[in-house]
Amino acid sequence: MFLDIGFWGVQLLNALQFSMLLFLLSVGLTVIFGLMNFVNLAHGSLYALGAFAGWTLAHASGSYWVALAFAPLVTAVVGGLLYVTLIDRLRSAGPMNQVLVTFGLIFVLLDVFRFAWGDFALGIDAPSLLAGTISVGGEAYPVYRLFIIALGLFVMAALWLVLERTNVGAMIRAGVDNGDMAACLGMNVEGVFFVVFCVGCALAGLAGVVAAPILSVYPGMGIEFLIPTLIVVVIGGLGSLRGAIAGALLVGMLQTFGKVIAPHLASMMVYVLLAGVLILRPQGLFPAKSAG
Amino acid sequence: MFRQDRVRSTLALALLVAGAVYAYSASYFGKELLAEIAVFAILAMSLDFLAGFAGLVTLGHAAFYGAGAYVYAVLTVNHGVAAGFAMLAAAAVCAIAGWLIGAVTYRVRGIFLIMATLAFGQMSYVYIFENRALGGDDGMSGVPRLDLSAIGIDLSNSANFAFTLVLIAGLTYVLFAWLLSSGFGQALVGMQRNEQRMRALGLPVLRYKAAAFAIAGAIAGMAGTLGAQHNMFVSPDYLHWTTSGLVLVLVILGGLESLAGPALGAAVVIALKHEISTYTVHWAFFIGVFLIVAVLAGGRGLYGLIDGVVRRFSRSKSPEPHDGDDRRQGDA
Repeated sequence: MFLDIGFWGVQLLNALQFSMLLFLLSVGLTVIFGLMNFVNLAHGSLYALGAFAGWTLAHASGSYWVALAFAPLVTAVVGGLLYVTLIDRLRSAGPMNQVLVTFGLIFVLLDVFRFAWGDFALGIDAPSLLAGTISVGGEAYPVYRLFIIALGLFVMAALWLVLERTNVGAMIRAGVDNGDMAACLGMNVEGVFFVVFCVGCALAGLAGVVAAPILSVYPGMGIEFLIPTLIVVVIGGLGSLRGAIAGALLVGMLQTFGKVIAPHLASMMVYVLLAGVLILRPQGLFPAKSAG
Repeated sequence: MFRQDRVRSTLALALLVAGAVYAYSASYFGKELLAEIAVFAILAMSLDFLAGFAGLVTLGHAAFYGAGAYVYAVLTVNHGVAAGFAMLAAAAVCAIAGWLIGAVTYRVRGIFLIMATLAFGQMSYVYIFENRALGGDDGMSGVPRLDLSAIGIDLSNSANFAFTLVLIAGLTYVLFAWLLSSGFGQALVGMQRNEQRMRALGLPVLRYKAAAFAIAGAIAGMAGTLGAQHNMFVSPDYLHWTTSGLVLVLVILGGLESLAGPALGAAVVIALKHEISTYTVHWAFFIGVFLIVAVLAGGRGLYGLIDGVVRRFSRSKSPEPHDGDDRRQGDA
């Protein structure tokens, strides 16, 4: 098994696919932090919301593509509402209070999901177009997982283009670099905050609906995925796209290959990596700005 | 700065007396509830010491609580160690774990610390959950209670047990009040207000942060051994993030940086939790709502309310200097 090209190819693809889900979640968190200095701990709950909304939409319409298109919209709207009603209101109370409110939201949303969708695992079928398998070095590999990798790469490229090559991207980078200065130069920082927050929530919802056919949909899925996402964000360095990419790949690879090589130590290795980064490079690998 | 003023002493004493009276007058269910409140009061005070006074806000406090409970359970159930020794060993293990976490994260501040401790807390949960030798998902049962029959106290009697826990909670309050009044405690509060200034004054920040974590960890571990004795059962739920969240709610609702407030918070929230649980299984929803409301309301929780009322009625006392602006710098 250890010398089989197909086996390792499959593992590599699995690692990439997991990394892409991690990336979709962590990029929103990290850019929001870069702009607003606070971390939305309810980001994982919005990921779960994306999956639940996707389940309902897929069952109501009979088409996975409808779910894929509209579930991110649902999470963006819910995220925008939370921003206007809770998070923006606490701006003057400081980032710590904002974080604590989002922690409270995890509890609230968890029970809302239990109430609305029940406390058991639901599933969505992958769309028939992507339901088959493809041969990777002699091993059958589901096409749907390749689709996730492709989607992740597409989002990565799109975000890079927007951030580096457009006016809006320049505004976001200016906000991350020095928000006060950007506001003084006449930039609508508040507007940028709101849009970035909603886009981050939409990406979390996208991750949720994309993950739904391969992982099961249940109320606790958000917090379970939040932890590796936070590790990605801390390791990558807050505020940067590069950090989110590097962190997601590192954690995804370590988790997947760790499970193959040393199954008993796999769940610990990621935390050892986290502790190592905290000791040697507390600002993360690619911080967007010096962290205090 | 911590000052053992009149409001604080009165509140702590009132809680202690109320607990002692309730231990011998309540129904069986009331006594069980009181024991749980005492355990969470100890846990909440240890988190307030760390988060409120030392300024090290963490979301992994349940890890210490659970570690203490499991060390106690393994030593007493699997190895037949006497309960008293097992409690001390559990506190020592948690102190070492706390010291290590404090040392590893000493350059990490504010939101980074919240994320790192949430991750470390979840790591310990997963470790226990997956460890078959520790009972995994099922936990361990048959955990014995401390044997105080040598001095004529039978702890299998729920009134005696609840009273003992209330007493230990009182002693915990005295210990923290003493620590915070000492030079060590003042230095911790100074570090919370302005770490750079304290560092410039020559404070070894790593050692102080690690020590704060070690002390809070040891007391939380002690609370874990008491929780295990109360339930006579340990499970991975002790380490779950919802437990960390619950403790944080007790501290913030009771009043951050007030020491007596979190104990009051424990009494109110744990009682409410049982009340709500009789109507609905969705009590976590209400815990979340409590947390959001407490943060939105600002101020200093229930303790701040009491303090404000007392101040209004005793104008002769000069008001404490308001120091709201200088605190909690550098959250990033």
